[in-house]
Amino acid sequence: MTITWLTTVDHKRIGILYGATAFVFFLLGGVEALLIRLQLAVPHNTLVSAQTYNALFTMHGTTMVFLAIMPLNAMFFNYMIPLLIGARDVAFPRLNALSYWIFLAGGIFLNASFLVGAPPDVGWFGYANLTSKQYAPGLAVDFWLLSLQILGVSSVIAAVNFIVTILNMRAPGMTLMRMPVFVWMTLVVQFLIVLAFPPITVGLIFLMFDRFLGTHFYDVAAGADLHLWQHLFWIFGHPEVYILILPAFGIVSEVLPTFARKPLFGAPVVIYSGVLIGFFGFGVWSHHMFAAGMGPVADAAFSVATMLIAIPTGVKIFNWLATLWGGVIRTTTALHFAVGLVGLFTIGGLSGVMHASPPVDLQQTDSYFVVAHLHYVLIGGSLFGLFAGAYYWWPKMTGRLLGEQLGRLHFWVLFAGFNLAFFPQHYLGALGMPRRVYTYPPDAGWSTGNLVSTVGAFGIGVGVLLFMLNAWRSLRSGAPAPADPWDGRTLEWRTSSPPPVHDFDTIPPVYGRDSFWREKYGRPGAGGGLRPHDRQPTPGAGAPVFHLPAPSHWPVVIALGMGLAAVGALTHLAVVLVGALLTVSGVFRLALEHHRTPTHEHQTGELGLDHRKVGMWVFLGSECFFFGTLIATYLAYKGKSVVGPEPHQILDIPVTTISTFDLLMSSLLMVLALAAVQRGDRRQARLWLFGTAFFGLIFLGFQVYEFIAFAQRGLTLQQNLFGSTFFVLTGLHGVHVTIGVLWLLSLWVLDLRGRLAVADAVKVEIAGLYWHFVDVVWIAIFTLIYLIP
Amino acid sequence: MRRSLRSGLGGLNLLGLGVVATTGGCAWDAPMTTVVPRSDFAREILHVYAIITWATVGIALVVGVTLAWVLIRFRDRPGAPPPVQTRGHTALEIAWTIAPALVLLVIAVPTIQVIFRTQAAPGPGALEITVLGRQWWWEFRYPTLDVVTANELHVPAGRPVALRLDGPDVIHSFWVPQLGGKRDVVPGRLNRLTFTAETPGEYRGQCAEFCGTSHANMGMRVIVDAPDAFERWVAAQRAAPGEPLGLAAEGKAIFARSACVGCHTIRGVSTGALGPDLTTFGSRRTLAAGMLPNTVEAVTAWLKNPPALKPGAKMPPLGLTDAQARAVATYLLSLR
Repeated sequence: MTITWLTTVDHKRIGILYGATAFVFFLLGGVEALLIRLQLAVPHNTLVSAQTYNALFTMHGTTMVFLAIMPLNAMFFNYMIPLLIGARDVAFPRLNALSYWIFLAGGIFLNASFLVGAPPDVGWFGYANLTSKQYAPGLAVDFWLLSLQILGVSSVIAAVNFIVTILNMRAPGMTLMRMPVFVWMTLVVQFLIVLAFPPITVGLIFLMFDRFLGTHFYDVAAGADLHLWQHLFWIFGHPEVYILILPAFGIVSEVLPTFARKPLFGAPVVIYSGVLIGFFGFGVWSHHMFAAGMGPVADAAFSVATMLIAIPTGVKIFNWLATLWGGVIRTTTALHFAVGLVGLFTIGGLSGVMHASPPVDLQQTDSYFVVAHLHYVLIGGSLFGLFAGAYYWWPKMTGRLLGEQLGRLHFWVLFAGFNLAFFPQHYLGALGMPRRVYTYPPDAGWSTGNLVSTVGAFGIGVGVLLFMLNAWRSLRSGAPAPADPWDGRTLEWRTSSPPPVHDFDTIPPVYGRDSFWREKYGRPGAGGGLRPHDRQPTPGAGAPVFHLPAPSHWPVVIALGMGLAAVGALTHLAVVLVGALLTVSGVFRLALEHHRTPTHEHQTGELGLDHRKVGMWVFLGSECFFFGTLIATYLAYKGKSVVGPEPHQILDIPVTTISTFDLLMSSLLMVLALAAVQRGDRRQARLWLFGTAFFGLIFLGFQVYEFIAFAQRGLTLQQNLFGSTFFVLTGLHGVHVTIGVLWLLSLWVLDLRGRLAVADAVKVEIAGLYWHFVDVVWIAIFTLIYLIP
Repeated sequence: MRRSLRSGLGGLNLLGLGVVATTGGCAWDAPMTTVVPRSDFAREILHVYAIITWATVGIALVVGVTLAWVLIRFRDRPGAPPPVQTRGHTALEIAWTIAPALVLLVIAVPTIQVIFRTQAAPGPGALEITVLGRQWWWEFRYPTLDVVTANELHVPAGRPVALRLDGPDVIHSFWVPQLGGKRDVVPGRLNRLTFTAETPGEYRGQCAEFCGTSHANMGMRVIVDAPDAFERWVAAQRAAPGEPLGLAAEGKAIFARSACVGCHTIRGVSTGALGPDLTTFGSRRTLAAGMLPNTVEAVTAWLKNPPALKPGAKMPPLGLTDAQARAVATYLLSLR
């Protein structure tokens, strides 16, 4: 029984795995928070040391962002998205399992730092150069950066999966504008993840190279600019805020209409404003840096951009109010939490407007005012949204109802505790209490506010315990939940609670927004008002047999390999190699295990495109940001090296022109290979596939030659900023080419064994997309780095 | 000015209502308060602060009251007819898109004006001071006056002060709330901060960017002197230190033959550069970046084991006996 959970690819089970795991991490982060509050309860407290306190707030932040709220959101994405769009699973069920197991590996690895006595202590934002070997010797920062890298891989894989699922697996009739708002917000969030994680991945790669290999990305003495990390971190970090909050907005947009028994007011506007928030979210990162000294022009520009975000956010609030207006409001626990979000997020959003103004921000940033603000957004917003979702969807997920009375007690205790904990922090901030201080003097005027805040924090703790009690009682002896306990409006209520393994016996047809409501009550207006429909939700029993994706144990193996490689990075190179080998072989086995399963051949979806092709396009979008960040860093650091050699003394344009031509020609061969596979010409297919890989190998040969020649002329990774940026950029491109060559060679081997039929052309096509992309990136590198002096 | 100050306080009062009710009074005048300005820079900020506070508190009240009213008015009652299935209202939605835009305009205009006013280049009469943020103390250099001091910055009232922020280790942030907003001290990047202090007095500040173990203990004092008092202070700082007598002379001898000289400068005695300049140590009010009062007892305890008093302090225990430490402390405090 347990073993089936290890190999499961069922989106509902993976959702539960995400939820249970994330809740454990949430409790850990909560304990860290309570220790923080206990230490600050009175001035000059000596409960924990400065060092421990710094580790506590670092781990609290990192845990809550990456291991609690993001994966709790992922729980609902996993469980609910297929149900909400009328699908039987996600587009890539095994990749879905893979993202969960990688997330678990990353979470365990991060917290293992406690066990070896080296918890990260540089803040969740890890500002360079406090993270450098010089100022942070030891393993703490390595734990932090490696686990963030692992978690990033998990997030991006999941994001690609959900974008394809939402775009390509909607039930017939579920047009984009008919999708529930929660699905829309999920879609926006996945795009944010795909595009925002590459910059921080690159920033962390730089940090990794600095710490392990002695490069100079964050080395002031070598000419580095410490703003680089801040920009890379916040280009990720601000969209991350929306990654954390938009799912909650989606949940509220489902819960309010259900319990007001009215459609969401101005649904298209709510959707557009969510998209707009996501879009603007990429243009405002520097409002985290108003004190960093960017100059008045940048301050003014980012200030105005930040204020603009308040408009779509405000529109959402007004639309939620209008949804409740004129409704018949059933005050269930879920509604309590949703309304709580509307109220508390309004406060958090408005205090955000305050520090959108740089002059005000100069007094508020890095003070407790910001601590209050961000907790109003992340607890008052995200967590209240998650609890609204928990009470709303718990019956669907477990088949049991949660206690409503206990639920309301949970809400009020949490609400009171939260406001008691965080409202006084506005005041503390106004009185100048800085963030991230392990102690404070008694004469600063901060004592009362801190004591009140600590009492409130324990109120939050009690609230969470009440939820656990409620959950435990429901699972043990809760009333069984009907399929549609809330008189719901969307498709998940159309199937049993919990849904059968295949979700829906028949894929439901969709005729409009709130499709299930229409099915029950008829079109609004038609026949005068509401009219109960006699059609009952389809029960799951006695259903026909459906093809379900087969379980796979490779996701666990791959995650284990990645975890092992990370452990190796802190211990011994041999362990890294074992981990890498395990990962690579796991990826191969995962890729090939269903090569011949017939039902895996037809994956064309709503967009009229194959899932894998849509997925590859999305992934390449992410790759654009990855290489864009690398190239931008190279250009930003151009001419900043304090010692030679300079690019013009090193770069050998004639030789690289030849290798560039070689790589361009390989793209031509790739086109020929795909055409050959598509028309079933096996001989030519083999020839061109091998030819493409071979040209790729020649390119790699040139690169090896180039690297050796440059090293002999005195340019190494460690020589100067030019060496660091050049080798990391071109080296990572070389890694991409290597992956491409391996991919092409495996396709070639498949073909040699006669296992690459016309029907498999899409497999060659996505390899081709990747290959062409890598070539295009090289053209950009060749032009910007080699040709422009 | 006074009006906007009052309105700012009024707005914050509303925000802090719950707290104020429990603390039993309005206590905005704490040593690091951000809402009682004592410089032109801080006053400019409070001007914008007040406008935004009023606007946001107003919006919060409107939303809160509406939300409460809607919840009471439209609560499910037995026998209530099913609601009209309204899907939206274009005019309304346009209206509440435009309304926040207008409010933001009211905020944006003074914001941008103040950004450019407060970041303008300092005039020719400004006093130049270089601020070095170090783990975990502050060094202040007056290049035009040939004065170097630590953790206590003296500035004259009424004269513009132009700070050049720099640092040899990690990022710190210079923040003295009553004299204005914070500005990061970024190694390798010269940042600037300009203000004119208004009223003589002692103002507390603290590093505002997390900078490692003792970030919480990286305090500072800014002492705003009347112009003539400032001149006297400068003269005292530049005077040659007198020859110590008795216990202090003994302390000087210990200082001169110990590791102290490797890190600290005392003009005419040593030239170390890693720790604070101690030439006029006795004239400072506090020790260890604002942590301790500058008394013989505190300095003696500090000399025996600095990291025990200040976690992570870079100064190691020197292995001095009680008597030796007391002698050195007496010597250091005699340097005024």
